[in-house]
Amino acid sequence: MSTTRRRFLQAASASGAVAGIAGFSALSKVLEPLLTGPGDGLAPFGPPTGDEISQEIHILNRLTFGPRPGDMEEILKLGTRPWIVRQLHPEDIDDTWTEARTRHFEALHVWPLGELLEYSAKELLDQMTRDKILRAAHSKRQLQEVMVDFWTDHFNIDPSKGDSKWLKPADDREVIRKHSLGKFRELTAASAKSPSMLWYLDGRLNRRATESEKPNENYARELLELHTLGVNGGYTQQDVMEIARCLTGWTVRARDESRFAVGKVAFKKHLHDDGEKTVLGEKIPAGLGAGDLDLVLDIVCGHPSTARYLAEKLCRRFISDEAPEVSITSTAKAFSNSGGDIRKTLAALFSSQEFLDSRGTKVKRPFHFVISTLRATAARTDAGPALQDYLVRMGHAPFQYPTPDGYPDEAQPWMATLLWRWKFALDFANRSLKGTSFDEKKLVRSAGGKTATAAHFLGRKATAQEISALSASGNPAALLIACPAFQVF
Amino acid sequence: MVTTFIDKQQDAAGTLVVVFLRGGADGLNMVVPHGDDGYYRARPGVGIKKQELTDLDGFFGLNPNLKALAPWWKEGELSIVHCAGSEDETRSHFEAQDFMDHGGLAAGGWLGRFLRSRPDAGQSPLTAIAIGPQLPESLRGAPSCASIQSLEDFGLGKDIPAGFLPQLSELYRTAPGILGPAGMDALAALERINALTRSSYSPANGANYKDDDFSSGLRQIARLIKGRVGLQAATIDLGGWDSHVTQSVIMDPPMRKLSEGLNAFATDLGKNELARASIVVLTEFGRRVAENSAVGTDHGRGSVMFTLGAGSSGAGKVIADWPDLSTSPLVGPGDLPVNHNYRDILAPILRKQSPAINLAEVFPDHVLKSPT
Repeated sequence: MSTTRRRFLQAASASGAVAGIAGFSALSKVLEPLLTGPGDGLAPFGPPTGDEISQEIHILNRLTFGPRPGDMEEILKLGTRPWIVRQLHPEDIDDTWTEARTRHFEALHVWPLGELLEYSAKELLDQMTRDKILRAAHSKRQLQEVMVDFWTDHFNIDPSKGDSKWLKPADDREVIRKHSLGKFRELTAASAKSPSMLWYLDGRLNRRATESEKPNENYARELLELHTLGVNGGYTQQDVMEIARCLTGWTVRARDESRFAVGKVAFKKHLHDDGEKTVLGEKIPAGLGAGDLDLVLDIVCGHPSTARYLAEKLCRRFISDEAPEVSITSTAKAFSNSGGDIRKTLAALFSSQEFLDSRGTKVKRPFHFVISTLRATAARTDAGPALQDYLVRMGHAPFQYPTPDGYPDEAQPWMATLLWRWKFALDFANRSLKGTSFDEKKLVRSAGGKTATAAHFLGRKATAQEISALSASGNPAALLIACPAFQVF
Repeated sequence: MVTTFIDKQQDAAGTLVVVFLRGGADGLNMVVPHGDDGYYRARPGVGIKKQELTDLDGFFGLNPNLKALAPWWKEGELSIVHCAGSEDETRSHFEAQDFMDHGGLAAGGWLGRFLRSRPDAGQSPLTAIAIGPQLPESLRGAPSCASIQSLEDFGLGKDIPAGFLPQLSELYRTAPGILGPAGMDALAALERINALTRSSYSPANGANYKDDDFSSGLRQIARLIKGRVGLQAATIDLGGWDSHVTQSVIMDPPMRKLSEGLNAFATDLGKNELARASIVVLTEFGRRVAENSAVGTDHGRGSVMFTLGAGSSGAGKVIADWPDLSTSPLVGPGDLPVNHNYRDILAPILRKQSPAINLAEVFPDHVLKSPT
């Protein structure tokens, strides 16, 4: 049963009243019958027909969290170039349905930050996790979701440390989501002053050297090692210390200090080391105060090693775990030439022959695997505990990576998750995964039969071996989800 | 023939078993300083008489409800540290447990960080388990962890069609790249689990597990350890220690469960397995030295920690740096000091389980005392 936008919004505003009285779960119950959104109706769709993965499927595989029924037709209709351009401009893509679907995670939309303290840390983590899962599964702005995931790892914050428990939602919104396809310098600047980051990497404790205090180098080090130049980028311990000096004095109001102004970031002049510093060979004159941060950001974001380090990571994400040198070089060049414009850098990456030719060279990380299952089957989910449990078991639960390096983006660290993926596949296919369901009959009918459904999952025609394996398995849906071909993209 | 991960488990490192006593266990009545008059003066009602204790070293004695642990002390396997704990001063169950589970002001749980920073991290789908319905905060951030109620939770379930595994197996056998070997590893782990769940388990060496959840949980852990499935850590909680009133009524049953469970577990493991495994018992804080008017005790600071197995040291004497309870100033409203930070007690054990571990990554918020 499909719904018109108008009807949906009418129901949503009516259910707003319900939510006010009866809360979150009651609201979900009102919305659930209306949650067949665009693309979820499982209209008849054409699966891939080639023996190999086509250009279009490859681009869907890489720029989204997995093709949904109908995605292939959309990209064929638009043409690959225009489709990519469209994804690079998410602001031009209507995503009303997803916005409405995630609107009731009210904690993620509150302002000022003090409002976040009204929620338990557990509730906030749950809302952030559900929001991320549902956006990844449903958003039409898929490349944006992929880049949000990328930058979340790159500027990793584990909220379980200190006040970050309550402040990470603001970071997700104001730092990561806001700048995911924007300018790298703005993204890094937002991260440097993010209350959550100031907690996570101790920036709030970074004070100029006195008898009783000294600088805390934690953020300065990770800024260089993980966020910008990279561990081999050519900085020294002295640079770490000088940057730490530059960043002294930034404070954030703690929860136990002031509930009202919690998370408020303030530069305190008397805690700042205002002397002259030298960072990566460049002089930062004395007396700039808060301006030291801007100069540091100019230096590190504009450093050639940063272009290269970011290019390496982007090529690892979009091409392969060992991306060819030529791709890294050209992507780095695009980054530098564009003044660190993420959109333009990606556009260049996606035009490269190496990207276009790299079919099936990446293994899905667990989050991607789970989301691609939901997308391929047009499943409905509440993204609740049962689903989240699988991500925990596979060690890829959103916002739960403890160290600043973020979840690794290569295949090897994830190889022990196969057993849990198989368990997930069976649980999902058997419709025993609480809170998640899909209509297998309708999916097969809309695809045009069992063989077509297999092709839809695999991104190409199934081989004779695969077809006979599916028949003999006794549970073809589970086998399709669990099989090696569905683990790669 | 590919050597799977399971094949390599025979020589792999052991399992770290973390027993958390939730509720603030009163170390003072578990390991009693019978040689300190101040104890009896502070606890006229709650204090345990010397003749009821199992003497440990002439100064301390074991509570009678813990006597099942006595043989392990005599054998030099059990190590006891008194006045142990964390620097958290809130005396709040939630805050103190959270602090301890996280290993200080740090992201993720200490155990999760330990499992992630090891060189051999995340190689097993069964890296870490928590017995019970929920994962403890200490495991947050682990490369893989699952809360299990029973071994069956690990398998693929009973209802899989006969053809499923063979077909899956064949697809992975012929899969390109690292998916092939990874698939073989997963199948080997699955086979091992199925073998374990199919056979009925007979504890070794006459070990006698009681029926309570704690003992049953330890039994599952023993089974998994011996099953060599790549288990690097297991956590299990034992609650019921919050003895604000009628201390003995509240504390005696969990003390018995603790000692009888651990006794059965260590017996079942036997000498060789116990030399590979490490068992630590900790609690978020101890209790007030002086009893209250309800013949109970209120929240305090220092308590006991027990360790057994690999990396455990200090047999024969209770490590305490004991304050004379008559004369020494106590902490705050009258609590035992924390002379031994739990991370310092964990450190040698973690090093034993993973020699190449960088402890600064596991405990970023603490400067470890060098081993004495």
